[in-house]
Amino acid sequence: MIPAQFDYVAPATVEEALALLAEHGDEAKVMAGGQSLLPVLRMRLNAPGVVVDISRIEELRSITDDGDAIRIGAGATYQDVLDSDLVREHLTLLHQAVAEVADPQIRHRGTVCGALAHADPAGDVGAPALALDAQMVIRGSEGERTVPGSEFFVDLFETAVGEGELLTAVVIPKHTGWGSHYEKFVRVSHQWAIVGVAVTVRVEGGTIAEAKVGLTNMGSTPLRAPAVEAALVGQPASEEAIGAICAQVGEGTDPPSDLNGQADYRRHVAGVLTRRAVLAAAGA
Amino acid sequence: MQLEHSFVVPADPDTTWALLTDLKTVGGCFPGATVTEADAETFAGNVKVKLGPIAVTYEGTGRFVERDDEAHRAVIDGTGKGLRGLGNAGAQVTMQLVPDGPGTRVDVLTELNITGKPAQFGRGVMQSVSDKLLGQFVGCVENKLAAGDGTP
Amino acid sequence: MSISTEGVAEVVEERADVDRTDESSGPEVGKARRRKEDQRLITGRTRWTDNLQLPGMLHVATVRSPYAHATITGMDTTAATSSPGVVAVLTGQDVKDSQGSLPCAWPITEDQKAPPHPAIAVDRVAFSGEVVAVVVARTAAAARDGAELVDVDYDELPAALDLRESAADTTLAHPDLGTNRSAHWVFDSAEAGTGEDVEAAIAQAREDGVLIEREYRQQRLIPSFMEPRSVVVDPTGEQFTMWSATQVPHILRLMLALTLDVPESKVRVIAPDVGGGFGGKLQVTPEEVITFLAARHTGKPCKWTETRSESLLSAHHGRDQWQKLTLAATKDGTVTGLKVELLADMGAYLGLVTPGVPILGAFMFNAIYKFPAYRFECTNVFTNKTWTDAYRGAGRPEATFAIERLMDELAAELGRDPLEVREQNWIRHEEFPFTSVCGLEYDSGNYEAATARAKELFGYDELRAEQARRRESNDRVQLGLGVSTFTEMCGLAPSRVLGSLSYGAGGWEHASVRMLPSGKVEVITGSSAHGQGHETAWSQIVADQLGVPFEDVEVLHGDTQISHKGLDTYGSRSLVVGGQAVVKAAQKVIEKARPLAAHVLEANMDDLEFSSGTFTVKGAGEGQEGVSITELALKTFAAHDLPDGMEPSLDADATFDPVNFSFPHGTHLCAMEVDTETGESRMRSYVAVDDIGNVVNPLIVEGQVHGGLVQGIAQALWEEAVYDEQGTLVSGSFVDYTLPTTADTISFVTDRTVSPSTSNDLGAKGVGEAGCIASTPAVVNAIVDALRPLGIHDVTMPCTPERVWRTIQDSGSGGGATLPDAQPHFDEGAPNQDQPADAGQEGGQA
Repeated sequence: MIPAQFDYVAPATVEEALALLAEHGDEAKVMAGGQSLLPVLRMRLNAPGVVVDISRIEELRSITDDGDAIRIGAGATYQDVLDSDLVREHLTLLHQAVAEVADPQIRHRGTVCGALAHADPAGDVGAPALALDAQMVIRGSEGERTVPGSEFFVDLFETAVGEGELLTAVVIPKHTGWGSHYEKFVRVSHQWAIVGVAVTVRVEGGTIAEAKVGLTNMGSTPLRAPAVEAALVGQPASEEAIGAICAQVGEGTDPPSDLNGQADYRRHVAGVLTRRAVLAAAGA
Repeated sequence: MQLEHSFVVPADPDTTWALLTDLKTVGGCFPGATVTEADAETFAGNVKVKLGPIAVTYEGTGRFVERDDEAHRAVIDGTGKGLRGLGNAGAQVTMQLVPDGPGTRVDVLTELNITGKPAQFGRGVMQSVSDKLLGQFVGCVENKLAAGDGTP
Repeated sequence: MSISTEGVAEVVEERADVDRTDESSGPEVGKARRRKEDQRLITGRTRWTDNLQLPGMLHVATVRSPYAHATITGMDTTAATSSPGVVAVLTGQDVKDSQGSLPCAWPITEDQKAPPHPAIAVDRVAFSGEVVAVVVARTAAAARDGAELVDVDYDELPAALDLRESAADTTLAHPDLGTNRSAHWVFDSAEAGTGEDVEAAIAQAREDGVLIEREYRQQRLIPSFMEPRSVVVDPTGEQFTMWSATQVPHILRLMLALTLDVPESKVRVIAPDVGGGFGGKLQVTPEEVITFLAARHTGKPCKWTETRSESLLSAHHGRDQWQKLTLAATKDGTVTGLKVELLADMGAYLGLVTPGVPILGAFMFNAIYKFPAYRFECTNVFTNKTWTDAYRGAGRPEATFAIERLMDELAAELGRDPLEVREQNWIRHEEFPFTSVCGLEYDSGNYEAATARAKELFGYDELRAEQARRRESNDRVQLGLGVSTFTEMCGLAPSRVLGSLSYGAGGWEHASVRMLPSGKVEVITGSSAHGQGHETAWSQIVADQLGVPFEDVEVLHGDTQISHKGLDTYGSRSLVVGGQAVVKAAQKVIEKARPLAAHVLEANMDDLEFSSGTFTVKGAGEGQEGVSITELALKTFAAHDLPDGMEPSLDADATFDPVNFSFPHGTHLCAMEVDTETGESRMRSYVAVDDIGNVVNPLIVEGQVHGGLVQGIAQALWEEAVYDEQGTLVSGSFVDYTLPTTADTISFVTDRTVSPSTSNDLGAKGVGEAGCIASTPAVVNAIVDALRPLGIHDVTMPCTPERVWRTIQDSGSGGGATLPDAQPHFDEGAPNQDQPADAGQEGGQA
């Protein structure tokens, strides 16, 4: 498949990138790893005039320790994240989820921030980012602003990143010592999650002191499950105690129906996976 | 695929009907749509669907295939041809107004057929896309009815 | 049960070591040599068709119908024609008088109905993906840009999509035909005189025996070969040279000549390195004809290479049958009759062998069992979907699935072990040769030996004990054991048999062996390899035959100018038929050399013996000089001193036509763990013990078995081509057509038993399709076995987690009575997983 003709620019700085976005407006598409954009261009479901490749912006590639949080730049690939000891230690849930993304080729090209900005609810990083209370750093001509995950995801493929803006980094509070587990349900290993459940918990004296639950592909955006999180607090990490709570996770969600599962099946599976993920995260 | 929407507006059925059968106004409510020409029975225009990575344009026409001003029921048939070898899209929209207290309930049933590349995009994403766009369309119509307090 | 392994078959004790290349001395045949081909294949030096760049070459892009069925009411090519770089636009109207009709070589009945099959649709399209125009341009990008600008107006027509509804002519795929039923074909053992009357057997079983009545769905599959199709046509001078990623260069050449009315002698077809086919490249395609027409029209070399989504959409699909089955048995478990009624989906057109695919299965439903009565009937049905044709196994996987599922159902009905019931009914090793109820002569086999070995490797009894424990403890994860004691017919095919089945050609194969003056050997084979490793295996055969080093043999194939005669590669025929032709040609070379050897050694021809590459005088004793075949090659080349009347050539041709098929068999055992909470099925272990006769290269055999297993397992678990209610292929990319990768499979345990075939001197039976044929029922049997305590008798393929889960849900609420076997055959009441589904509603049968 061959995309329609477009101009390609690879700015060296964020400022240059923003200037290009301002100049080309609607005609420009931002590309980081290109793993979602290029298939669309090749299928000719889009034909932008200009592709702005931000993968060469050096300042965006880093993963840094910001004290209480880890900052992952927009150029950091999935593999960079997998290779990062900071992420492994402080954001174990994200590390586990990224390990489940597609296949090695894609993980070496695709970026975490690119996936967040693409906002595909079936992507594997949205749910853990939400669960870990990520903050998205957005730059525009007006300057920089920070948006919490809960406000970042607006709808299917739609985020708080406005026209002419760029998601430059995601900043995620450290969850050092938390137990975590990402449960991805697929038929074949390289496919999108049919359902994914991201869980991180803090266990104190055998009971769950804090729990955070994110859901992949259970609606038009990645979701948090606050009711389940609240109900889990104070429960012992046993199947008897949490099974019924977790089974409710799909309530009120509106997951898609497609070749891999209808909505009711997804809701059911989400409940089972949540139970398994909580138990695994709690080390039970 | 079939998509169903239902909403209630504060206006009475006659007022609501007048707005809903004004093709220029209604057509303009579709996200990305430009109505280039419209008369009482037909309209022509284009729709630029822009969502996330996808941006595609359909050019098309629509007409009433059924219109019952008494029963407040209409069926509009629209066909669009995608630019850039995209394949075609067709929609049959059935509108039915039902009195609802002082207002009106509008039931919209859309039978949408998308062929070609978008339908092959995978994971039923086009279904989600269509659902979202129609939701926006219905929201816009609803707003127009509500904002005008029933006056078109 | 007790199985005797005494006597007949040798159980192979040592498995082929896949990590080690066998460089030992001794016979080449049997050595696990690494493949000669792989060096270039894995280092990027492969000669794919798409790598070809010819001076002035143009590129072809297609415009395809988005509709399953529509009239073309208008076509505006103005914008495309004036697009930069575009040289020509060809529409159906432009080529309607020159494109002919694509060939079908297998009219299975005299009154078979078929619509004309245009390469470019002229005024009506019959499936989504059919070509309606092509754009020829200076670059591939310009051709694609131009293609997007072709403006086509369609008037949509009702589409025939559901196989069973189409069989009832509810909607016509081709209104001019007046029916969707292309042909009806019957084999009845009573009529053929090869067995008894099946209706009598069924009546008897209904009275005092056991009747198993089932319906199975063979879902539609997409061959998904690794290298997409690609064609280059160079109209040099008066000759057309076509490079194509095809399995069948020889058949293609002949068919192009017939279709386009070009002298066959003016067409040269080259299949360079070809990256897989699985039957998907056993075809004469619209795109080959189109590229030919484009080259003729422009006078320039033209190339067309498909994209992956184009490939999934328009390269022919496979399987797609409804099978209605009735098995009759006595109460003690002895089978007495089998009735098979098939509906086979042709798709929109008949391809090269489309109608014959179900017929290739017709003689295999009875499999290894001694059915006294058998009837098979098949109705071939048109629908407005991509046309189907051969896919790995072609007809035989469908048959094997059906009978192996039925034997499990019979065992379950009787409350007996599935292996025990099979053994009660299979042909015992001392009964070979055995004439089957279809009239085929099974020449060799030992089902007892293969089964005993498989049980041992599998730990059958231990797994049964674990299954019992899990059932008892009501474990969320249930364990199921699946059995498949399959056979297949390979080595397509004795030409007389093909003739009796109305196939348009024979089943022989051709080979040449050329002795070069330097002593090197060139082997030319008509069997065109596309990943099977012919170059290695043929070299091993000839090295042994002529006593020359393996490295000194070069195998040439896939070019009709070099290999002027052949019938190509499909149906596990290459070694069994083509390999035997190579043996015959090599033997002829030796016989041609014999007079010269006698002349040189000053001996009588009859006193010579040929061994390890050298002629010696019999009984001459140690130290007696002989003369080698390579020395004789040089002497022949020089021709200075040849015996009177001898032509100066040792080269020889041979064409081999088999007198019988070969019948590989094996016992495959599969353990599946089924998570009853999510419906997910995980493979726990898989043992395949195959009897494919003698083996030329165990390493290649391992590769074929492993690859075949995954492909068959994929039908059971993963793959399905799904259309929406418009007739659009929604599993049109690898996002939704879930092809497995190595990450989804486990490590298989494989072994072999050997009962040599008698159809060829090598004693080989063929292995290309075995794994794919055997594994599908083994997996489904295991899943059903796991769920049987829940009252479940079937899960429709592919056994997706959602399908398994819903089957479990239904069994809970309906007490197991909602399953297909409880429904009347082919009635509207039966659950119809075939219903075209709304893209958003597909996935289960809710």
